Amino acid sequence: MRGLIGAISAMAILAGSAAHAETLKLVEVITSPERTEVLKKQVEAFEAANPGTEVEIVSLPWGQAFEKFATMVAGGDIPDVVEMPDRWAGIYKDKLVDLNGYIADWEYGKTLTQKTLDMGRQTDGKTARMIPYGFYLRALFYNKKLLEEAGVSEPPKTMEDFMAASKAVSELDGKYGYCLRGGPGGLNGWIMMAATMNGDNTFFDADGKSTLNQPGSVEGLQFLIDMYQNGYAPKDSVSWGFNEIVAGFYSGTCVFLDQDPDALIAVAERMNEDDFAVVPMPVGPAGKAFPTIGFAGWAMFDTTKDKDLSWKLIASLSSPEANKEWAKRVGVIPIHEGAEQDPYFKTPQFAGWFETLNGDQYVPTVMPTYLEQFGYFADSIALETSQEALLGQISAQDLADTWAEFLTEEYGRWKAAQ
Amino acid sequence: MSALRQSSPLAVTGKYLALAFYVGFALFPLYWLAKIAVTPDKLIFTEGTALIPSRFTFENFRTVLLATDFLAYFRNSLIVSLGTAAITTCIAAAAGYAFSRFDFRGKRLVVAVMLITQMFPLLMIIAPIYKIVAAVGLLNSLTSLIIVYTAFNIPFATFLMQSFFDGIPKDLEEAGMIDGCTRFQALRKIILPLTLPGLGATLGFIFTAAWSELLFALMLINSNDTMTFPVGLLTFVSKFSVDWGQMMAAGVLALVPSCLFFLFIQRYLVQGLTSGAVKG
Amino acid sequence: MTAIETTAPGTSRARPSFYLKYMVEPYLYLSPAIVLIALVMLVPLAIGISYAFQSVNLLRPFQTGWVGFENFQTLWSDRKFWLALTNTFWWTLGSIFFQFFLGLGLALLLNTQFHGKRLVQALVFLPWAVPTFLSALTWAWLFNPTIGPLPHWLAAVGILSEPFNILGDPNLAMWGPVTANVWFGIPFFAITLLAALQSIPGELYEAAEIDGATVWQSFTKITLPFLAPMIAITVMLRTIWIANFADLIFVMTGGGPANSTQILSTYIFTTAFRKLDFGYASAIAVALLGLLLLYAVILLVLRRKLVKI
Repeated sequence: MRGLIGAISAMAILAGSAAHAETLKLVEVITSPERTEVLKKQVEAFEAANPGTEVEIVSLPWGQAFEKFATMVAGGDIPDVVEMPDRWAGIYKDKLVDLNGYIADWEYGKTLTQKTLDMGRQTDGKTARMIPYGFYLRALFYNKKLLEEAGVSEPPKTMEDFMAASKAVSELDGKYGYCLRGGPGGLNGWIMMAATMNGDNTFFDADGKSTLNQPGSVEGLQFLIDMYQNGYAPKDSVSWGFNEIVAGFYSGTCVFLDQDPDALIAVAERMNEDDFAVVPMPVGPAGKAFPTIGFAGWAMFDTTKDKDLSWKLIASLSSPEANKEWAKRVGVIPIHEGAEQDPYFKTPQFAGWFETLNGDQYVPTVMPTYLEQFGYFADSIALETSQEALLGQISAQDLADTWAEFLTEEYGRWKAAQ
Repeated sequence: MSALRQSSPLAVTGKYLALAFYVGFALFPLYWLAKIAVTPDKLIFTEGTALIPSRFTFENFRTVLLATDFLAYFRNSLIVSLGTAAITTCIAAAAGYAFSRFDFRGKRLVVAVMLITQMFPLLMIIAPIYKIVAAVGLLNSLTSLIIVYTAFNIPFATFLMQSFFDGIPKDLEEAGMIDGCTRFQALRKIILPLTLPGLGATLGFIFTAAWSELLFALMLINSNDTMTFPVGLLTFVSKFSVDWGQMMAAGVLALVPSCLFFLFIQRYLVQGLTSGAVKG
Repeated sequence: MTAIETTAPGTSRARPSFYLKYMVEPYLYLSPAIVLIALVMLVPLAIGISYAFQSVNLLRPFQTGWVGFENFQTLWSDRKFWLALTNTFWWTLGSIFFQFFLGLGLALLLNTQFHGKRLVQALVFLPWAVPTFLSALTWAWLFNPTIGPLPHWLAAVGILSEPFNILGDPNLAMWGPVTANVWFGIPFFAITLLAALQSIPGELYEAAEIDGATVWQSFTKITLPFLAPMIAITVMLRTIWIANFADLIFVMTGGGPANSTQILSTYIFTTAFRKLDFGYASAIAVALLGLLLLYAVILLVLRRKLVKI
């Protein structure tokens, strides 16, 4: 009798735990309706493969995602898995689980490109706080028709060509050379120019001082300031953000746009594919160009109740097939080796990016997102001071010195914490 | 104004011109909003400055109503706004009456505290409020929004009601009370009908304040079922593009309830005091 | 106070004691308001103000420490703070000035009779009903020469030398949000002042006319005094709200270019939610709070001196 009761209660317990669905909370932060559709599908596939698991997707509005997420975390409403942009990793790193162990045991761990692993470990070089899901790499979009009209025969290969071509197009009425991103998110452009003219993209020299106020870098900053003050970029561009520069490009107002593959989606929707093309960024006096590379990925918070299950979700989203699908829709370069063989990525538009990845003279620049205040630097300090420089209120040297001072201090703090 | 004074034709023309200016100024941006809502996507940027789009489409409205969750968002906003307006007006009428009729100890303090709640930026207190709401288990619920909005709107509504009560002579309740009813009955039967314009104005303001509130709705609500429509508008802004057509269509649709509500309370707003309420 | 109080037999109606009347009854009416505000706002408010005296990072709540007035010392020498303060002053003044006078004019107009009055009343109220996020986007749209008509009109009229986006010009940028704010705020004053105008007894005007008063005289001697309490309240509250009103500026210019439209409120936002430094943000907020309190006190004192009602 007792045995029977024991067996029944054991079965009840087992049945209870099986019937009790495990819920995971997944937060996406770079939200857009089409993307959410793809995410939902991939999550449904995961749920089907793991019966009894439910995933709740919370989509934060992109424009307010940072503050909303910070408030959620501060208030204790912490998700299991989150989409983590590179800039945020420096802030949340202490709360994220180290994924190295999981990656080592993962069947697809070996096909991850080295870059993926390096970027995932960027916060301190060793701990994999996240698995990137793709890369944003800068390349130069140009408007074929406008260039022809201005009499420029081929897209610029060097910085001088770039300035000359911009000048030529600006002679046309109502047209401008460069879709300058003077507003939010423009830091990448400045850093690229600085690094390209300086011939070097390391941020900090051996003494831990920022390289941004070295003479070559200052020349790079001056390049953009000249571009604006000479009228080769539209007057409004001092406050242009992502939407404005892309709109400026596809409306034919400016001929050059430096952007990542995700802009390709917006541009291709509104421009004929014969009217534009993508080439690597122009090289500087040292014969090299330093396009910036950014990334976002999936990370797991250490407050999750079931680490293994959360990992399974991340793994499912990062598997080669899922990742390729994701990369196509989101507009990033996928993370597993051999991706460029896929017909989607073999188009002439994408050629610009793969040429960048494969050419020796193009050295991708990784922004120092491991610095905790880097996000604030990029969104506030750099924004305001660069606008002051464009408007002629401060000089390029002052601009460089302000940035160098701040970054050197941040770097010192980071190094001390290592 | 009096009916005795003869208005010169010049004054009348001037008046209508002025009204036309006000209406034009108020409606122009809204016209633009509606224009974008009916412009097909491809033409939004190329025909930007045109006063009338070359082609119309109601596709955006259809998408917003049928393909997105906006009807649910509107419903949520409606619940929150009506609830907040009703509750706030009741509480504020009572409080405003107290300020108007009584001079009591601590009155200055209460007024000062109410003012201070208006002066401190709300975004600084988001984090503590978030924790409190989460602790009570009301996160992600419309109730939490109603409570928070009511608390924030009470000071303004109270001062508004106080002004209206101030405009009614105290003798009226005194007369009523001498005739044998309690103060509360006097308030209900005699005073409140006379403050209908005030109640109307207060209801209108609180409704629209709650209807368009963004910050708390953004922070306190996570799930789609309880999202209010201003936060829903934000979802049209994504990294790649801003879905202007749909966003403006949603905006136009959102104006409808506000407009209707205001038309409804207008009746009370235009009622003036009948003269002679206090004889002698 | 009657000396002999007679109560009808059968009814027991005790006259409220003086104590009840003076002390308790008001609070009975006030209690719901006080309870709600105390629970929902006062505690978070106290916490929020206390941040100013601590070093607080939003995501590291355990690393807080009391630093006394250190945040305020940093504030004193912060160039950006003083710039934001100046901008806040012009922003508030510009917005209130135009809103109030235009709103008053509209209220006076609405207080007369004319055809289509109900329709007009509903229409002019609409700007207040639009969520500020949406109206900011619409106005930003209107000011953008590629897609909006305003720069072209302004250039045609001669105010601008050529159509460009004033939001990108540090000298003119503030006018954009101010215009949007005026558009948004006129209905507020129009409706509140109208409701107050409605309560002015009509006979007063008739009597004044009979006595031969001009329009201006009846306006200053009858209308204004009746309106004064409402004016005081609405102007004070609206100013306080505008000073704290970051939405329009944030969406239209983001505080730029080069901090030319940065007001204290947007500065608080970026410090709190981008730098995640709640301590410093709270210090700025407390400074703003102090200034607004001063303003409110001055206004209330002025009101008591000037208004005899």
